[in-house]
Amino acid sequence: MVIPWIGFPLRDLLASVEPTSKAKFVEFTTLSSPGQLPGQRRPVLDWPYTEGLRLDEAMNPLTLLAVGLYGEVLPNQNGAPIRLVVPWKYGFKSIKSIVRIRLVDHQPKTAWEKSQPDEYGFYSNVNPEVDHPRWSQARERRIGEFTKRPTLKFNGYGDQVASMYAGMDLRKNY
Amino acid sequence: MRLKRFLAKAPIFLMCLVPVVWLAWAAVQGRLGANPISVITKETGTWALRFVVLTLAVTPLRRLAGWNVLVRYRRMLGLFAFFYGTLHFVTYIWLDQFFDTASIVKDVIKRPFITVGFTAFVLMVPLALTSTTGWIRRLGGKRWQTLHRLVYATAVLGVVHYWWLVKADISRPLTYGAIVATLLATRVAFRLKPKVAPRRVPAPNTRAV
Repeated sequence: MVIPWIGFPLRDLLASVEPTSKAKFVEFTTLSSPGQLPGQRRPVLDWPYTEGLRLDEAMNPLTLLAVGLYGEVLPNQNGAPIRLVVPWKYGFKSIKSIVRIRLVDHQPKTAWEKSQPDEYGFYSNVNPEVDHPRWSQARERRIGEFTKRPTLKFNGYGDQVASMYAGMDLRKNY
Repeated sequence: MRLKRFLAKAPIFLMCLVPVVWLAWAAVQGRLGANPISVITKETGTWALRFVVLTLAVTPLRRLAGWNVLVRYRRMLGLFAFFYGTLHFVTYIWLDQFFDTASIVKDVIKRPFITVGFTAFVLMVPLALTSTTGWIRRLGGKRWQTLHRLVYATAVLGVVHYWWLVKADISRPLTYGAIVATLLATRVAFRLKPKVAPRRVPAPNTRAV
């Protein structure tokens, strides 16, 4: 997707809380409310939904906390009132309806990692070279477009983010 | 007589067309959401599976409830399963793969859920082609019936295809699986029980014993 989000960089929020040198990762938790969110009434995933970023990923200027899109306030289904946007990673990393953000010293286990560790990893960078075990990631259809196009590594944000993964085997660290 | 038969089947025929008519209307109206091709693929696939299930339900309902009239519609239901299966397959090769044969072949070989789905569809082709009474005559009733048991494989493979493509929520594939398993189990039960003729109105002039 190429979505015009409205928000501010996560790093501004993190800077304001002055993380210590012990902080290595950021952990996010979403709302747990089966009453409002019927999908949470069954344990399809280990609710509440959690996500995480390495500290440098969280401090990257592209990582946004979004409060709106297309000039409107964020609707419920898009993660109201505030959500994460990590544009170089697969969409499920961009956690919605955030209720808690913690700075932690260990790599947090994310909801999808816990559910299917051989299919979803911590990093989940957009990577056409690494297939999902059951389907290919080599092509994509942008929302609003008809034909498919080749997927770009890091969703086309390689210039801004590739350096964070220099020397990492992205096939192992999917 | 033939016209009467045709008109009797028309309402069911029209009802079976509702899903595709709705889909076409919604697509034209732009009411399929942000990812319309995904919706079309899912809807056509689900209806193909539903029609296979309906087709498989005819014999058990006949045997258990005595609803012999359903047999009249079984071929129509089966052909609609093939119709929606074809739409589902065409949506995949056209709107998803844009007729990129190399890519399609690679998918069918490399992605188990596509292998299974493709097989389920392919197995329906001989059934559609031999669906006419002319073919029942040509093959002979017994051979025709054996061939048409392939629909059992289509049903099972269809469920597995669905199971293997969902991300985490298996509740729907599981439900269809339970339904298909039940419909197949009733057939096993019929086989094991001593032959009981389907209930029919006793002929007049039956001699009292």
